[in-house]
Order: sequence, then C-alpha cells, then structure tokens
Amino acid sequence: MAQKLSMKQRYSALTRDLDWTPDYVDPARVFPYTAFEGIKVHDWSKWEDPFRLTVDAYCKYQAEKDKRLYAVLDGFAQGQGHLSLSDARYLNSMKLFLQGVTPLEYAAHRHFAFLARYYNGPGPRFAALCQSIDELRHTQTEVHTLSTYNRYYGGMHSWPTMFDRVWYLSVPKSFFDDAMSAGPFEFLIAISFSFEYLLTNLLFVPFMSGASFNGDLPSMTFGFSAQSDESRHMTLGLEAIKFLLEQDEANVPIIQEWIDKWFWRGYRLVALVAQMIDYMLPRKVMSWKESFELYFEEQMLGGLFKDLEFYGITPPRHVEHAIAEKDLLSHQVYWTLYSFSYAAAFTTTLPDPAHRAWLREQYPDTFERYYQPPFDRAAAIQEGGGRFFFQGLPQLCQVCQVPMLFTEPGDPTTLCQRERVYRGERYHFCSDGCQWIFDREPAKYVQAWLPVHQIYQGNCGGPTVPDVLAWYGIQDGDAGSTSARSTTPTGSAGTPKPRWGLTMPVRAITEAYEFPSRSRAELYGDDQLVHVLWKGNMLLAAAATFRVPRAMPWAEFLAGVVDPWAASDPDYRPGTGRSWTLDGRPLEPRDADTLADLGVGHKSLLTFDT
Amino acid sequence: MQYELRQQVVEPRRKTFKYLADRYGDQPVSRYVEATVGVQPTENFHYRPLWAPDHELYDETYSALRLADPYSFLDPRQYYYAPYVTARAQWHDAVGRTLRYVEDRRLFDHLPAGWRELLGGLVLPLRHYESGAQLVCVTGARFAYGTSIEQCLSYAAFDRIGLAQTLSRVGFALADGGDELLGAAKESWVGEPALQGLRRLCEELLVEPDWGAAAIGLDLADRLLYPLLYQHLDEAALRTGAGPYSLFAQHPAGWYADHRRWLDALVGTWCADPVHGAENRAILAGVVAAWLPRAAAAVTDFARGVERLVAAEAPEAVAALAERAAADLARLGVPVEPQQVTA
Repeated sequence: MAQKLSMKQRYSALTRDLDWTPDYVDPARVFPYTAFEGIKVHDWSKWEDPFRLTVDAYCKYQAEKDKRLYAVLDGFAQGQGHLSLSDARYLNSMKLFLQGVTPLEYAAHRHFAFLARYYNGPGPRFAALCQSIDELRHTQTEVHTLSTYNRYYGGMHSWPTMFDRVWYLSVPKSFFDDAMSAGPFEFLIAISFSFEYLLTNLLFVPFMSGASFNGDLPSMTFGFSAQSDESRHMTLGLEAIKFLLEQDEANVPIIQEWIDKWFWRGYRLVALVAQMIDYMLPRKVMSWKESFELYFEEQMLGGLFKDLEFYGITPPRHVEHAIAEKDLLSHQVYWTLYSFSYAAAFTTTLPDPAHRAWLREQYPDTFERYYQPPFDRAAAIQEGGGRFFFQGLPQLCQVCQVPMLFTEPGDPTTLCQRERVYRGERYHFCSDGCQWIFDREPAKYVQAWLPVHQIYQGNCGGPTVPDVLAWYGIQDGDAGSTSARSTTPTGSAGTPKPRWGLTMPVRAITEAYEFPSRSRAELYGDDQLVHVLWKGNMLLAAAATFRVPRAMPWAEFLAGVVDPWAASDPDYRPGTGRSWTLDGRPLEPRDADTLADLGVGHKSLLTFDT
Repeated sequence: MQYELRQQVVEPRRKTFKYLADRYGDQPVSRYVEATVGVQPTENFHYRPLWAPDHELYDETYSALRLADPYSFLDPRQYYYAPYVTARAQWHDAVGRTLRYVEDRRLFDHLPAGWRELLGGLVLPLRHYESGAQLVCVTGARFAYGTSIEQCLSYAAFDRIGLAQTLSRVGFALADGGDELLGAAKESWVGEPALQGLRRLCEELLVEPDWGAAAIGLDLADRLLYPLLYQHLDEAALRTGAGPYSLFAQHPAGWYADHRRWLDALVGTWCADPVHGAENRAILAGVVAAWLPRAAAAVTDFARGVERLVAAEAPEAVAALAERAAADLARLGVPVEPQQVTA
C-alpha cells in the first residue's frame, strides 16, 4: 500500500504539479510578460504558498462566510438599520469608500487575473487566482452592503461613473491604473506588498473601526468578513517580496525602486483616509497621527523593514517626508476638500468646538497654530451667511493627482512646488516623492488624465460648474452646497521654453512606448494653462489653474482671472501692491503686456505676494 | 394584552443605483445585477499598459468578438460570488462524498478490465488539460469587456482548477491515497500519443491572442471531450459493470451542464448583437473552422486511446459529437458549414 501523503504533500500534489513545459509552441510566447521588467526568476517552485487552500476548502469556507454576511445585510435592510447610525455625516466616509475603494477592489480582481494567467509558476498563479476572485467578492459585498444606504442617502448612486470622472477620484484611479499598466512583478510589489501589506492597516482599520464606532453594522460585518481574505493577501505580499528577493541579487535594486515608488504613491493615496479619520468620522477612533505611528512607523519601519534589511532592502525613499507630514496631512487635505466641496459627492462641515478641542489635543504642535485660523475665518464667513469656497480649479500634481496642497518639508506655510520640463512641456509635482516618480518614467506620467486640464479642454460636459457636475453624475443632495464658479475665457500666443529635458526611457515590452502628453499646449488652441499661487495664504489650499489666451493683456488677466479667484479670500484687495514671480524669476508686468510678451508659457507658475 | 409595535418607516429616495435605474427603471434589482452590471470602468484610463502599449487597460478590442452593450449578456445562472461559491461548495462536497465512498469500499479495485487503466492512464492526465483550460479562461477574466462576461470566465477559471484538483483526487483514490499515479499521469500528458493532440491544442490556445477565440476554441474541445467522457463512456460503464466510473462521472457531467449555460448564452448574444452580430457570426464561423477540426482530431486521438482499453465505440462517438457541436452552434446562430466539422 502506498505511503499516505502528508497534508502538505497532498496540497502540493493537488495544486503544483499541474504544469508542464510547452513544446508545441515557444514557452516564451505562452508567458510573454515576465521578462521585460528585468526581474530574474530561476526557480518558480521555490514560491512557498502560504495558504494551502484547495478549491473545495476555499469554496466551503467562503460560502459559510458569505452566508453569515448576507444574513446581516438582509436583517439590516429589513430593520431600517440605517437609522441607527451615529450621525448621517458618518456616511461621508462610506460615500468615499464606495466611490474610491470599491473600484480598486474591482481593479485588483481584474488584474490579479493577469498574474494568474501570466506568471510562469503555478504556485503564484494559483495564489493570484484566489486573490482575483476574493477581490471580486469584496467589490460585490461592498456594493451590496452600501446598497441599502444608497436608497436613502446621496453620493453613492453613480459610483462607477464617478470613479471614471470625478476629480478627487482620479487619485485612486490613477494609482491603480499605474499599477495595472506596469509589468506583472511591479504590480505585485505595488499592490500585494506596498498596498496590501505596507499600507492596508492605514486604509482598512479606519474604515472598519469607524464603522463599528459609528453604528454601521453592515460595513463592520463586511470588514470582519473581508479581514480573513485580507490577511491572506497580506501574507501573499510578504511571500512575494521574499521570493523575488531570494531569486536573484540583481532583483534587489529593482524591487527597492518599486518599494520607493509605491510607498510614496500609496502614501499620497491614503491622504484621503487621513482626513477621513480626523474629520469625517463623527465618533473618532484614533487620530491619523496615532494611526500612522502605530501602523506605519511602529509596525512597518520598526518591524517589517528590520526583517527586510537582511535582503539589502532599506526603508522607502522619502519616508522622512511622510513622517514629518503626520502632523499636517489630515488638516491640509480636509481643508482642501472643504474648499472644493461644491464639486464633491460628499459633504464637508466645519469642526464644531468639541471636535476642535479634540484636534488641538491630538495635534498640539500644529492645529491651533496653522489650521484653526482658516477654519475660524470660514466660520466667520458662514456666520455672515456665506460659505467659503475656492473660486477656481486647483493645480494638480502630475503624478498623484492630488491638488498641490502639500507644503515644503519643515515649512507648513509654504506650498511645495516642484517642476520638470520634459520634451518641451512643463510639469508640476506636489513633492520630491512625486517628482522622483515622474523622473523615473516620464513617458508614462505625461499621459495622466488630469481632471482640471480635461475640464479646460472641454472634455467634461461643458465649461460651467453645473455642466461638469452633471457629467460627473453628481446630484443635488450629494454634497452640501452648490454655489461656486470657474473661469474659462478663451483667445492666443507663446510657447514654453524647455529648460532641460529628461530622456529616460520607460522599460516597456516594446521599444516604442511614446504617447503625447494629455495636457500638451496644442490641445488649448490659442489659449494655455497658467497656474497662479498666492504665496503664504493659508485660506487658499493650492495654486489655481486657469485657461487663458496667450494674447491676454496683463491688466485683463489680473482683473478678469486673478481677482475673482483671489476674492475667495474676503480680505483680498484688488489693485494693491504685489510682487510677482514667473516660474521662480522676478516679474515686473506692465498692464499692456500680453502674457506671451511676459514669457508666461503653457503651465507657467505665476506667484504673488501681498 | 396586546401590543402595537410601531415602526418608523422612511421612504427611500431611490430603489437602486442610478446607472441601473437608467437601464431598468427605478425599481429594485437582483443582487446579481447589482453586483455585475456597469461595474467595470469604461473611460479615462490614465496610462497605456507597458505590456500592451497599443491597448487601453480595458479595451473592447482585446477580442474581435464585440457587443454593442456588454451587459446585453447576463449569466443565466445569475452567479455573483456568494451563489457561485455556495454552488461550488455543494458540488465539491458531493464529489468528496462520492470519492470517500469509493475509497472506503475500494470500488476502483473492482473496475472491469481496462476501466481502471482508462481512469489512471487517460482521464487522470486531463488534470493538465484542466490546468491549460484554467489559463485560457483566466485570460478572458482579465481581458473580456464588461463585468458580466469576465465574471463567468473568472468562475470558469476557478472551476477548471477545481476540476484539475478533483481529477487529482481520483488519482489518490486509485493509488490508495498516494500520489505516484499523478507523476505517471504527467509523463503521459507529455508523452502518451493519445494525449498529444489535446496537449498541443492547449498550448496553441495559450498563444491565441484573441481571448474570445481562445475561449471558444477551448469550448469546441470541451464539447467533444466532456460528453465523450462523462456521458458516452458513462453509459458504456453502466452497461459493462464499471459502476464506480459512473459514480465519479456524474460530477463532471453536472458541472459541464452548468458551464454550458453561460457559454451558449454568450455565443447566442454575440450572434444576435444588433450592431456587431453579422461580424461576430462570421468571426465565430472562422473560429469554428479553425478549431473544430483540430479539436475533433485531438479528441479522436484520445478516443482511439480509450478504445484500446475499453470497447465503447469512442472514436465513432467523437464524430457524432462533432456533428452535434456544429448543429448546436448553428442553432445558436453561428453559420457552420458541415464540411468544417471533420479534420
């Protein structure tokens, strides 16, 4: 009688040995995508599957979990459970979740299928297949969980359209598009390691603990139910990185760069979560700062990266900027969302006295000094019957696509501006991290579909705010208020001068990975985009971007474009003395000079001081 | 004493999501529809894939088979994740019970001459066919346009790996729980002449760039192989006292009937598409012309191998199944020429 197999042997026999080396066709054609990134894998069988789940066990276990989850959802819907929330404002975080996170689950579902097809080894392929259908589960259970709320509240009814179109959702969308458009190994480091392992607790814990603190039983149940899947995915991320690092020493520098890139990409994405924790949850779980210290500094920098030292991996580049931002991030982001809330499918309100006291306590070094003053001024405007809005469209970072709201390291009152000229066109970045990412692969990031630029190209439903909101699928009642406007004049002249060019090629499967910039000058005819920054004004979260004719005289530009925007700040006095700089050089404009005469080019940055 | 329970009822503002109300009217929809229709992003993709710069991340042109509205196809089984895993948990549970029964009673020891060799030598190696089928399906899971189609392919991919594992279990059962037959089965898969047609077909499907053509090419082989193994040979087994074969065969047969439902619906939807229908029909006819003869040749080789072990008129059955496949496809709207059927 044959020797009985151990569970491990049985598992291995069931899942592993299914592969064979094709010889009727060239194996390189069967697995065409695992060579171009430069990663070397010598022995795919060294992949240790951490789960050892067979298909029958998987189905049984998952079916039981879903049975319990759907029982809760059914009970909730029948019992009018939405009435037991702590406060309807809580739902803002769930609106953001459905608009911005659920589509990422779906993207993960689709692209883990890519890995399940194209990895050469059956072990990682099977792990990827399991994760692919897990992610479909998460997409669907999230939709079903939030479907009940959708019947009673705004902001959830058009989530797929919003994900494809709305300005703040281009942040998560471009993040995942970036990962999906990369090769199969970079995707794994981006999503399984950087997103699922490094940052997942920062993302998931606030949403799910927030749900439990705020009476959202279905989301909490969903969260618990997804947790066992997530822990499998986290394990996969760790296994993936160790496997690739152990396969070949030459993989180490490639993976280090991906960690550097995807840490920063992911960190910018969770900026949306930071503001949610500190501002959107009526009952607070913990502050962003605490959460960052615990889940990132302590667990990742103090734990994970110590383990990875062995392989020659160091903590991610620019991590010191993230650490330094922990006192600032949530306030800066929330203030920005508050400023643009007329164009968002969630509501923003000013923190009440108790909330401010909590913020002061959590952020003793920064809140009162830097961030309470704008809230005070906005409160004064509100008492006068108004509502503070940023009366224009913000300048966006070419890489993370967040409005350029972040400040210089060590200087919370100066907005950070980084710039590159690539192939004759100027690009701006919110940080050293995003600039570094652009410099690695400029041919990729010039393709970015930047919502503000697309609005100005007329691709988003029309020139007015109501046109754009209608195109976004935003309805009355999704956000708090709907009065603000944008400036879109038209007209001609001026080409930006390349200062220095980068020629780094992207490592793609073909030699020719060349696409035109989606913001290139010719798309604006005789007009161009111009960024205007009011230096040191904490009320205006970012520079504004305008579309203006190159032939527009300075006086008209000031009176027709800059003044109406700067008047977002009620203390703005048109015509008072200001000193200007153009792309960092002093500028002394005369009223009759046209923008072209002054050397203001496409995407030039004009800065003024009062 | 009587209590009157009062309930606060708040009238809903809408009965479903906006994009579903636009399609079906503002009325409650099934959980399947809610979890499926309109879920995939459709526009404003940021970057071209480094691995396919000539395409968008989601792109209708990953296959020549197109639908004017991708959600004109819906899975007749209405599988979203929860009912899918529930159905498969039950299926695997039933398979497990059968195999335990077979093992406990050592029923495979009592198979008539040839049947045991058939199971171990020709059926068991098909775990590799299933593994290839999984890769074909998961290609569509990534590249199909629209959630309703890719969802079926995702589940099909998971089904195929489940079938491969199920066949492996038969291998354990044939070897008293050991895995030595699995090793031999792999050698057969790469060397046994009766299996080389199927292996070649798998490999060629894996380099077919159009996921739709590959999925249909695979299905053409399935249309011959599954009814041969689990219907024709099942009947032969019952006639010749090979009952334990039939005990097992009921499960893949049940799966195949379930699997047919969505594939036939998809082929029908492709053929009937108001915009792309004519082109789809022509493309499908081309796919059938290219792959059905290869599938028929491969499965005929396999059937000859079967025939050497058990007398069941297997090669004749394949010829009949190929004709049936052509007739079934013609009924679904694919203009199949009779001469395309044979190799």
